[in-house]
Amino acid sequence: MPVKQKEPLIMHPRPSSIVAALYTLRDLDTDVVILHGPPGCSFKHARLLEEDGMRVVTTSLDESGFVFGGHDALVEVLEKVIKRFNPRRIGIVGTCASMIIGEELHEAVMEVQPDVPVIEVEVHAGYRDNTKGVIITLESALASGIISEAEFERQKHLLKEATEVEKRHGAASKEYLEPSRGDLKFKVAKRLIELIEQGKKGLNILNAKKETAFMFADINLAVDQIAKKLGAGSNIINMANLDENLGLPKNRRNAREIKEDLKGAGMDIHHITGGLDEYPVAGNFANEIIREKYSDFDFAVITGVPHALPMDHIKNMELFSITNGPRQVIPLKEMGHQHVAVEIDLHPKTLGINHIVESEFGATLRELARDA
Amino acid sequence: MPKQIAIYGKGGIGKSSTASNVAAACADEGHRVTIIGCDPKSDSSITLLRGRRIPTIMDLMRQGADINEEDIVFEGYKGVKCVEIGGPEPGIGCAGRGIIVAISLLKKISTAIEDTDLVIYDVPGDIVCGGFVAPVKKGLVNEAYVLTSGEYMPLYAANNICKGLARLEMTLNGVICNSRGAPNEEKIVSEFAKEIGSSLIAFIPKDNLVQICEREGFSVIEKAPDSIIAGVYRRLARGIMANNDGKIPVPLDDKRLRELTRI
Repeated sequence: MPVKQKEPLIMHPRPSSIVAALYTLRDLDTDVVILHGPPGCSFKHARLLEEDGMRVVTTSLDESGFVFGGHDALVEVLEKVIKRFNPRRIGIVGTCASMIIGEELHEAVMEVQPDVPVIEVEVHAGYRDNTKGVIITLESALASGIISEAEFERQKHLLKEATEVEKRHGAASKEYLEPSRGDLKFKVAKRLIELIEQGKKGLNILNAKKETAFMFADINLAVDQIAKKLGAGSNIINMANLDENLGLPKNRRNAREIKEDLKGAGMDIHHITGGLDEYPVAGNFANEIIREKYSDFDFAVITGVPHALPMDHIKNMELFSITNGPRQVIPLKEMGHQHVAVEIDLHPKTLGINHIVESEFGATLRELARDA
Repeated sequence: MPKQIAIYGKGGIGKSSTASNVAAACADEGHRVTIIGCDPKSDSSITLLRGRRIPTIMDLMRQGADINEEDIVFEGYKGVKCVEIGGPEPGIGCAGRGIIVAISLLKKISTAIEDTDLVIYDVPGDIVCGGFVAPVKKGLVNEAYVLTSGEYMPLYAANNICKGLARLEMTLNGVICNSRGAPNEEKIVSEFAKEIGSSLIAFIPKDNLVQICEREGFSVIEKAPDSIIAGVYRRLARGIMANNDGKIPVPLDDKRLRELTRI
């Protein structure tokens, strides 16, 4: 009997698979999601997702719901949702409480018989990797014919890679990771401008997860703009995971919007490394390009998920990473990134928008470059 | 699709003994049989395995094992496939959730519940929470049987189970009386069965031989194949294999139930 080594305990709080299911339903253009569980479950994200136009409601299970079951509540909310929102696509998402007591989401759907597709997601937050929430959602979407088998397999592969990336150098890499605000943005920006002024050659890489690219791209844009201003535009090579022909509907849309913004601001992307959902693997593609063409460059700015870019051909460069994870600072430093800045609370600012938004680090760069 | 049955009844009434003897009797007649023990005590299949305890699905999950079919499905008497779900010690954790998780895993990794002629789910005493009806809710059971004696409490439990089945719109295919030697027992259970819209499909007399064989780790079918009681189990097994007459039960009110046991 092959007993595998139990994976070590991780103590710091990490992303939830219920929330991952909610975001995936949003990417699938779901209009309304019913969270079947207690009223406060996943509140912060449920609220944020409304900014993206997806309604999230709850069956508000209470103590007696746990004891007597929540079937009737789910039927009632499902009927109300259909009446109130007239949705074209509905999601029903489980929670820890409803899954432990054995609620069957499908029973309520059978009883109500809605005439629009319903994606049922039997998920709770007790999975080690939150990507499990995405996989369960996609399985259900596949079963209801909303995505193709090919897209499902592609997503599954990406999620496996994403989980590996987090285990190697991310939030799942240690028993406990101290949160950190990273290096002072002012100092990091100053050093970066210094290198550009010296005429050093630099890579400017966007490797961001989905909509977070709306803000991370602003940093890459600022780098490009400043280099041009300082007459060093040709020393900078831009790469971005902004392929608009890959991923779920929203991801493609967002890639197109960001690309248009960058183009409008006069920034050329020299290499497209993948789609917005390919952040776990696009780094490998960038790695290959760097090996072929740019391994002698002096510095690299990497925004988004910098820890997904292999160190193979950048380890001799001066590295500037910008992440939105306070727990990503220590792992990035340990990988050998000299400068790590954190865009605190980035994600909420990238919901409900279709244009690039200003980043703190981008603003710092622009401000400093004014006097340069 | 195989015949998929669940045997319900009050705790201690003899579900596991009945399930394992029916399994053995069906195997004797050349049917491919799978038995899924859903009780945390994990003793449903022990008499098909000559007293051997097999690792349970929940134990393996707890150890963090990569679970394959061969780790949880064991061949017992005449090739009967035995699976034990297992679960926590009494008083801790959540056995119901264990059944939900184990059933999902079983569906995913094993063909034992599909590529067979008969699947028997031996479920714990009362349907006390959602998890205990997971096999039914997940569509893995298409026939239910209720086991009871003629005494008031087991009948009360049986009636309660019928409430659960009715709620789930699950058909009841028959009532089995496992005698405890109460007066008028066959008549009482037969009347109960009739009134809930079902019928008494077997009367299993009290026979110490069952205990003796179990203590040594055997079913009566294996250890005492020519005994009278083995014959009773064989008839029940044939009855179940031929049965396709299920109805959603109509539970009785408590007053009528009390009256019944006074016949």
